[in-house]
Amino acid sequence: MDLDLDKYKKAWGNQSEETNKVSKVDIYRMAHSKSSSIVKWIFIIGLLEFVFLNSLYFVFDMEEAYNEYKQLGLYNFMIYSQFVLYPILFYFLIKFYLNYKSISVVDSTKTLMNKIIKTRKTVKHYVLFNLLYVFIFGIIVAIAALKTHPEFNSQQVLISIIVTVITLIIMLIIIWCFYQLLYGILLRKLNKNYKELAKLEELN
Amino acid sequence: MKKELENKFLTDFETNQNIVHKVCRIYTTNQEAHNDLFQEITIQLWKNYSKFRGDAKFSTWMYRVALNTAISLYRKSTRSIKTQDFTDYSFKIKAEEYDDTEEVQLKALYDAIRKLNDIDKALIFLYLEDKPYKEISETLGISEVNARVKMNRAKDKLKKVLNP
Repeated sequence: MDLDLDKYKKAWGNQSEETNKVSKVDIYRMAHSKSSSIVKWIFIIGLLEFVFLNSLYFVFDMEEAYNEYKQLGLYNFMIYSQFVLYPILFYFLIKFYLNYKSISVVDSTKTLMNKIIKTRKTVKHYVLFNLLYVFIFGIIVAIAALKTHPEFNSQQVLISIIVTVITLIIMLIIIWCFYQLLYGILLRKLNKNYKELAKLEELN
Repeated sequence: MKKELENKFLTDFETNQNIVHKVCRIYTTNQEAHNDLFQEITIQLWKNYSKFRGDAKFSTWMYRVALNTAISLYRKSTRSIKTQDFTDYSFKIKAEEYDDTEEVQLKALYDAIRKLNDIDKALIFLYLEDKPYKEISETLGISEVNARVKMNRAKDKLKKVLNP
């Protein structure tokens, strides 16, 4: 069956050594240069996402925000939700770091790809969690704000809630699409290769 | 100690660098990308060298790191580079074996491999390098049976490209 390929294989075996040999000095220089691998980019972008999403809470004047929450009667809710929020953020951050550390180019191709995809999924779940939190929080604030306007009739209340929900959903979808695009570009090749490699496992 | 390790690495790498050049040739189509991938593989090899245990052959280990880097870590898609500007083919038939038809076959072979997907490239490369199925399956992380089935399909694709 391979009769056809045998002559090519022979030609392959007879090819000369690379003519532009890399010297030890150049190998040394290259070995100590900065990597620009996909894994490194995932780590940097992932870290930026953790920093960025967390710093959002600091961008706003917290004291003023707390006063607002007090007025809305949400102060206690704010405090308790932080107790829940931070351990979860911490959990994601640790998981992300451990996944990242476990990535090893010495693993088999499939294991390596698996670990890269897993690391990226941690960030994905983290972002999803944040978006969900923003959504729920936005709705709670909207409801609390409505309570400060007892003069609204039920129709006005309903319209206000619908407008808030739609605005929140549109906003979150835009953020999500942007995010998917970013990783889509970064991981297109990897996902394709993974599918290619895993395809056969399913067939057999 | 580190100096000693570094010297050993440089010697090992210098002697076996041809493996990396071949991987770069099948995964890239111009000299700039070739050098870029070569550098990334070098970084990965050195970063993991201290973890390399003598129980495997350095070259075997090198195949794995080089292929993994080309398939999973290297960012640039080979798809975007259509033009082939290897002005001077760095691969030739050895002088003592020189044969005109073989040189043509070798060039055709490289051109054909470059048209395959990343996984098939790895399979065909390991086949051409005469690697046993056990090593191929361990390198890619698939079962030996799957490696055989996949190899046959990759060979069929390669043949189709070689003899359309």
